Amino acid sequence: MSKTQRIETTMEVVRTLVGLLIAYGVALVILFAISDDPVYIVKQFILGPFSSPRRIGSIINLAIPFTICGLSMCFMYAVNRFNLVAEGIFMLSGCMVTFTALKLGGDVPAAVMLSILFVVGAVTGVAVAFIPAIMERKFNANVVVVSLMLNSIIAYLATWIMRYYMKDNTIAYIASQELPASAQMPRLFKTSFRIQSGIFVAVICVIVVALLFYKTSFGWKMRLVGENPEFATAVGLSAVGVSFAAQLIGGGVAGIAGATEMLSNYTRFQWTATTGHGFDGLLVAVLAKKNPALVPIGALFLAYVRIGADVVNSTGDIPKEFITVIQGIIILLVAAESFMSGTKNKMIFKAAEKEKAEKEKQEANTAA
Amino acid sequence: MSIDWVAFIADAIRLATPIVFAALAALICRQAGMFNMGIEGMILWSALGAVAFAHYSGSMWVGLLGAVLVGLGSGMIIAFASITGKADLYLTCIASNLAATGGTLFVMFVLTGERANTASVFRSYQIPNIDIPVIKDIPIIGKIISGQSLLTWIAVLSVFLVWVLLKKTKLGLRIRAVGENPHAAESVGISVPKVGYVSFGICGIMSGLSGAFLSMSFVTFFMKGMSNGRGYIGLSAQNMANGEPVGSALAGLLFGFSQELSTTMKNQTNFPTEFLEMIPYAATILALGITGMVAIRKRKKIEQGQTNTKEG
Repeated sequence: MSKTQRIETTMEVVRTLVGLLIAYGVALVILFAISDDPVYIVKQFILGPFSSPRRIGSIINLAIPFTICGLSMCFMYAVNRFNLVAEGIFMLSGCMVTFTALKLGGDVPAAVMLSILFVVGAVTGVAVAFIPAIMERKFNANVVVVSLMLNSIIAYLATWIMRYYMKDNTIAYIASQELPASAQMPRLFKTSFRIQSGIFVAVICVIVVALLFYKTSFGWKMRLVGENPEFATAVGLSAVGVSFAAQLIGGGVAGIAGATEMLSNYTRFQWTATTGHGFDGLLVAVLAKKNPALVPIGALFLAYVRIGADVVNSTGDIPKEFITVIQGIIILLVAAESFMSGTKNKMIFKAAEKEKAEKEKQEANTAA
Repeated sequence: MSIDWVAFIADAIRLATPIVFAALAALICRQAGMFNMGIEGMILWSALGAVAFAHYSGSMWVGLLGAVLVGLGSGMIIAFASITGKADLYLTCIASNLAATGGTLFVMFVLTGERANTASVFRSYQIPNIDIPVIKDIPIIGKIISGQSLLTWIAVLSVFLVWVLLKKTKLGLRIRAVGENPHAAESVGISVPKVGYVSFGICGIMSGLSGAFLSMSFVTFFMKGMSNGRGYIGLSAQNMANGEPVGSALAGLLFGFSQELSTTMKNQTNFPTEFLEMIPYAATILALGITGMVAIRKRKKIEQGQTNTKEG
């Protein structure tokens, strides 16, 4: 790695961290400004998430879907397509998985049941992601707008499926019938430290996706198409084809995310609107700089901030929505190329000058 | 099923108003070469700004002005991040829309202590509807044209003004030049960032009017997520018309009709409401597909024509 490259990589990390710090600082300022008891609230926001094993467990549990959705968005982001359909896929996958489980009934053994359900989730994801991807490929339709509109349609579709085909009329709230026991993924610990077995799915996904990104030719192609589509086309890659395939795989991963969340955290399908996980996945992918190996870290950070917001929310005078503003600021700061680019350029310049001075010194020495 | 067609058309025009503003907002940015999806969030902020300014000042007009200023301000933030900060425009817009969804809720809660809407705390103000003396007595047409909101008429005027701006003024020429080829524009001394900021400014004003219509005319309070995809629908409306103001407005009208169709059918039939709710969104996707297909066909034809002349 050359000196310039090393500086660039270091600065990327520093930039992300500084961006996070600034956003976190803004969050604290907001809390301070509007709370009646600012010191207590700020303390709750920072330390609250770690105050009990139950809350730490919640952070990890929340990070599981964030991780898998983050991986899904890595595919979209890597080929520079902001296909946001993961948001809808997450919900529809949960719906289809429940539907299938209810149809299969309780007689199917758990191993067979769960494998079938994960396949259903992934297939749902691929099928849905196909729509914006093919519309972009064939009709040059903007993938962001199509995927967002599709999310709205999916929310209604999933609600319809629940209301007409799975609704449990014996309970007071609107939800599906209960999942058969063989379709429910177990908790790992029976104590208050609740972690879902979905964590294994997340770990497997991270490993597989990281290998796909950095050890296969498809991963290399994908990154090349995303970074420099003209060059990729010039060396004979089908930029359109690669980004099309990446979007389908990303959709499949989002489907797995929805299935995991549904099977490990719920016993009934009860979402009546999209859950926001797709957008959270985008934030995680941005934080991780589209590197799948870093996705869990981004997901854990997001989960920590979210639980902090929940803790603060429960104290009453701060609504948890303030956190979405903070998320927006984080994305902006991390995505803005100019942010701290002055410092980076100075450092590269200095390093180059130093190198030059050393060379001149050496030359002077050899001449002497 | 009995539909009052006159009321249907009048309501469709009402529903089309915020979409037409959104389409105008989108097309200004598009002419300057920027695909601005942030309009969705800008409309949402403006809708909240309208009721807040109106309530605290006690004047509807200050509310309208407030909405425009808020739209302008939120546009400037996106412009600053993407033009000066060099952040990816798509990412910036997605981030700012996310921030708008939660941020408006947060501000609403801080100001009113409510989580769903401002109806019970903020006084409601309505932009007046205009009754036109002679026309209102003409059957059918009178009922459609007379009694529309002042903002609907401003929307009609805006379509004309935007057309004049783009086609007949120096600024419009500059905006189009930057959109066509920023490097060429720069080489003749046009400041590309400045044109970008100006376009975002006009876009912000249009978004502000769109938001004001939602919270001070369509209903008279601010409600969680009330922009409801209108920014995106406006984007695809201008896309259908290739960024031409009049065509974009007509496309916006079409989307107004699709929304009204969805509402009417909900009241008149017992078709599952979920599918009726999908109509406006499905119409948007369909429109994007069809316009894309037409554009590709056209380009192919031109390319074929060129090869034909070469051979001949």
